Amino acid sequence: MRLLAACLLVLGLPAGAYEGAKVVEVDAGVHVPVLTKAPELLELVDADYPPDALAQGLTASVRMQITIGADGSVPDAEVLEAVGHGFDEAALAAVKRFRFSPAELDGTPAAVQVEYTYHFVLRVADAGVEPEAPDAGQDAGPPPPNAKLLGRLVSRGSRTRIEGATVRCTNQPDLIDALSNAEGFFELPLHAGPCAVQVVASEHEPFLTTEKLERGEQREVVYYVRPKTQGYETVVRAEREKKEVVRRTLDRNELQKIPGSFGDPVRVIQNFPGVARAPFLSGQLIVRGAQPDQTLTFLDGVEIPILYHLGGGPSVVNSEFLDRIDFFPGGFGARYGRAVGGVIDVATRKGATDTYHGVAKIDLQDTSLFFEAPITDSVSVAAAVRRSYIDALLPLVLPKDPEGGSLLILPRYWDYQARADFGGKRGEPTRSTGSVMAFGSDDALQLVATGGGRNRDVNVDFHTTFHRVVGTWNYREGNVSLKTTPYLGYDLGTLRFGASSVRADEYEVGLREDLAVEVNSHLTVRAGVDTVFDRIAGSAELPVLSGNQYVPFPGAEPKVESQRVARQLDSFDGAIFLETDLKIGKLTLTPGLRASHALLDGQTRHAFDPRLWARYELLESTALKGSIGLYTQPPSATDMEPPPFGTPSLTHERAFQSSLGVSHRFTDYINVDLTGFYNRRFENVSSPGPTVTNPDGSVTSQRFANDGLGRAYGLEVMLRHEVSKRFFGWVAYTLARSEERTAGSDKPYVLTSFDQTHILTVVGSVRLPYGFEIGSRFRYVTGRPKSPLVTGYDEYRADANSFAIKLGASRSARVKDFAQLDVRIDKTFQFDSWSLGLFLDVQNILNIKNVEGSFYDYRFRQEYEVPGIPFLPILGVKGSF
Amino acid sequence: MRRALLLTLLAAACVGPTDDPSQVVDLRVLGVRIEPPEVMAEQCSLDDPLKLFATFNQELQVTWRIADPKGMGRAIAYEVRACADQGDLQCNNEGEFVVLGKGEAHDGELTLPMRLGAQQLADKFLLQGVLEQDTFKGLGGLRVPIVIHLTAGTEDVYAQKLMVFSCRFFPEMKVNVTPQLPGMTLDGKPWEADAGLSLSGAGPFVMLPVDFTDAEEPYVVPSLKLEPVHLVESWKIAWYATAGKFSPNETGGVDFSGLSERHRTQWKPKSDDVEQDVRFTFVVRDGRGGQSWLERIAHWAPDGGTP
Repeated sequence: MRLLAACLLVLGLPAGAYEGAKVVEVDAGVHVPVLTKAPELLELVDADYPPDALAQGLTASVRMQITIGADGSVPDAEVLEAVGHGFDEAALAAVKRFRFSPAELDGTPAAVQVEYTYHFVLRVADAGVEPEAPDAGQDAGPPPPNAKLLGRLVSRGSRTRIEGATVRCTNQPDLIDALSNAEGFFELPLHAGPCAVQVVASEHEPFLTTEKLERGEQREVVYYVRPKTQGYETVVRAEREKKEVVRRTLDRNELQKIPGSFGDPVRVIQNFPGVARAPFLSGQLIVRGAQPDQTLTFLDGVEIPILYHLGGGPSVVNSEFLDRIDFFPGGFGARYGRAVGGVIDVATRKGATDTYHGVAKIDLQDTSLFFEAPITDSVSVAAAVRRSYIDALLPLVLPKDPEGGSLLILPRYWDYQARADFGGKRGEPTRSTGSVMAFGSDDALQLVATGGGRNRDVNVDFHTTFHRVVGTWNYREGNVSLKTTPYLGYDLGTLRFGASSVRADEYEVGLREDLAVEVNSHLTVRAGVDTVFDRIAGSAELPVLSGNQYVPFPGAEPKVESQRVARQLDSFDGAIFLETDLKIGKLTLTPGLRASHALLDGQTRHAFDPRLWARYELLESTALKGSIGLYTQPPSATDMEPPPFGTPSLTHERAFQSSLGVSHRFTDYINVDLTGFYNRRFENVSSPGPTVTNPDGSVTSQRFANDGLGRAYGLEVMLRHEVSKRFFGWVAYTLARSEERTAGSDKPYVLTSFDQTHILTVVGSVRLPYGFEIGSRFRYVTGRPKSPLVTGYDEYRADANSFAIKLGASRSARVKDFAQLDVRIDKTFQFDSWSLGLFLDVQNILNIKNVEGSFYDYRFRQEYEVPGIPFLPILGVKGSF
Repeated sequence: MRRALLLTLLAAACVGPTDDPSQVVDLRVLGVRIEPPEVMAEQCSLDDPLKLFATFNQELQVTWRIADPKGMGRAIAYEVRACADQGDLQCNNEGEFVVLGKGEAHDGELTLPMRLGAQQLADKFLLQGVLEQDTFKGLGGLRVPIVIHLTAGTEDVYAQKLMVFSCRFFPEMKVNVTPQLPGMTLDGKPWEADAGLSLSGAGPFVMLPVDFTDAEEPYVVPSLKLEPVHLVESWKIAWYATAGKFSPNETGGVDFSGLSERHRTQWKPKSDDVEQDVRFTFVVRDGRGGQSWLERIAHWAPDGGTP
């Protein structure tokens, strides 16, 4: 045995890592740089093979995280998984003497952290090599290669090209190793005869095979190299600047494998602190006591009208398209507005730049396809479509009407996303990048019940759709970055119920501008514009409305004249915002202001929202933080219509939000965040509004009023283990109270219907060998408030033929506490050029009897519980290439 | 699919009430008829409220259909009140009610005469109190709550009926008349009051009222903008039986889109019902305060019984 090579070094920054940092963001006014050039190793230093290990014939691979400075040096390195026997120390000593070409962020040299694996390999000479006859007159030395192996390295199961892998013939030690390029190609000159091929690639199992080449032969091969235990991908991303007191960010790996979320990434938000549990599988987001419609959802910075199909179904964005989700439970930056609750910003990702990939996902309710491919070196595309087929399957299981009637329930949805990215050619500095993203969604629900023994034919047709086209242009030069986001949108909503119908066509055009200037190390200025113009063309065919247009009488509604209403509503909301980061030692102060001017259905509304954030770096790993500010949400133009359809005098809903917290990082992976908050909402829109008698004797029944008051306060704790190679998870706990009352009344605050005192969520997911992965989620939530039922007598309304419910003190009782354990098991089968994933997602594996609500008998004498989801296994299949 | 699956699971898991509105098994008020159902003044001015209230002080006959099928003819204590607040379902707000009568009633009908126009609260006329508490300040008429409180054994029932006093805001406005069901059919055949009908088996038995479309009155009310709104009554029928149950238990009316509903229903005895006389009560409402009922008795026996 002889020592042939002391080390092999493989750059641990494969294509995947590069892709992971691909999206240029200006998020909440904070520019998140993009890696435009990966570092390249210029000077490799051989490590000293530990003598004892050498004597014992030991080999090892040392995985390290190293920091490459802006000058290409390696100022810091640490071992991620110690292997012992002196290998760790030897590898560290070697890599700290390496030299790289500097990495570039947005075309500027910058320090980055990357993962390296240093391989210590012993090689043994193989017999059987056909030696090249030395030429006469030449010195006896290694003969020159006379054959060539040309090949491509592909990650097995995904077709991802493997960059930076070393390829060699272990039985031909005199040859120079080949290194695969960004496309996975390698070129290995060798001697004719057998070649014991060895491929060593970061995050992949060693690949061994034998090729036998003839003299002068040039052979082309493709090697499918098995990834190592498919550990969670480590994404290299520049540290995002911390400004908001609380911003929870989920990366792709966390998004898709949370038990109980059915693989739907957006549902994962519901497992974060500050978010109350919505009943059943409802998609409602109740954030820090705010109403669901007070938390806005953005997709690539553009507001979208719905987040879930059919209210609580799958989210409207294909999970493969998601890059990450930012969730701000409150105290968000001045870049965001028009919300008094929280903000969710879903970011999509750029299509693959190495080769084409695709994913097909099939389950009982829909099928989705995803495809991504590079078009040129600087252009890539990605697209996804999804279509449900519940409308085709449901009729098969609906009961037949013995009296010959027909019953049809036809829920249907589809969505699409398409994105093209340009600029940002790999490995080359760039100042401009851009993208065009189009996405949309369509939901329809039709219910038809006719004939048979029915007294009334029912025909309900509900349809919503939206489309958005969003352009993005990013420009960065020096310390200035600019992001321009123009967008167009179209929404359609229709409801047909028998002879009545309502239709609204909504056209939207908007523009966002985000400018960030890093003046110096102490001062950063961010400013921007956020404008949107909206036109609603609404029409309705409705009966004259009792209660709103004439005084109703309880009991049988009369036959009434029909009326046609057609309106066109224009609204404009333009906002400018400004924030500055002032760094004074360990203290960072960020004052901000958002000013908006709105023209809603011909009426002018203004809002000025000053906000302030502070962050103090108490220790290197500990920070104190706080925020205070005003937030506003304009009323809908449709709600400002004259009575009976609206209330013209409506104005902005407003909120005062404040928070104070501390964050501490225990290790690179484990951190904790503790935040207390107090929010007060006022001038909230409530319904119905007051009924006023006018001087002429007529009566105006206002539909809305700005008399809602609310307050919420509590404490949120997030203990998180970031995505590592094999594990991620978190413990989220919220202690909170949310209350509401009507302004001007003498009634005290009462709990909101979604108040939940304790919300505990524990999430963990671990990667196992052989393609298995297991995750679990446990939730414990205090039962929602309810008003206790008073019994002992009946109250009957003879005109309405109905009984009155008799309730005790408002929301003075609670439904039973909620507890549930969910488990998810994934198994991935890898084939050469594609992989097959199976998952089993089991909701409520302990079959705990939860209560989601209650209902009553017709006289309200007894309360009956609506049970929660029982033990519910869901199986899914996903193929990707 | 998730939602459908969920609904299926819920349907399987729910334990719902077995009590049905159409099953008359204990002390109930099934209907309240007031003759006349509406009193309309020719003038709407409140310049002289005493004169207006005097117009409204005509005698009313109020009849309650009290059902007490298991009471074996027991005495039921009652007290009748009128009050100012429509939201006061017991008419017991201090100083805001008047007692109109009390005594004993039994299973069947209870009729009391009364005059409301001259009734006085502690410091005002009853109708003045009603007007002050009305959200619409009398635009939909003065609606006076009349509440009967029944107690028998452990049972305790309040039933509220609104008496409508209005004025002729538009000349085309007409006073309401009580709706009357012209007759009933069972399985497509007329069902007369004295038919002595016998039924047997598990059913279901289809019941339909004799067509009353022509009796549904057109009427006019003022809109909130003081313009005439033309409406047509769309009667509802509530179906009751002392055994078995109806499905649906209420028919008629219009839905959100303004479409009318037919009046077909099915009565089906319960599997554990025994042979008995079953009393059927059909209460009709016209949606503006008019109310009456029709009753039939049939002898029912299960298959193999003695119909």
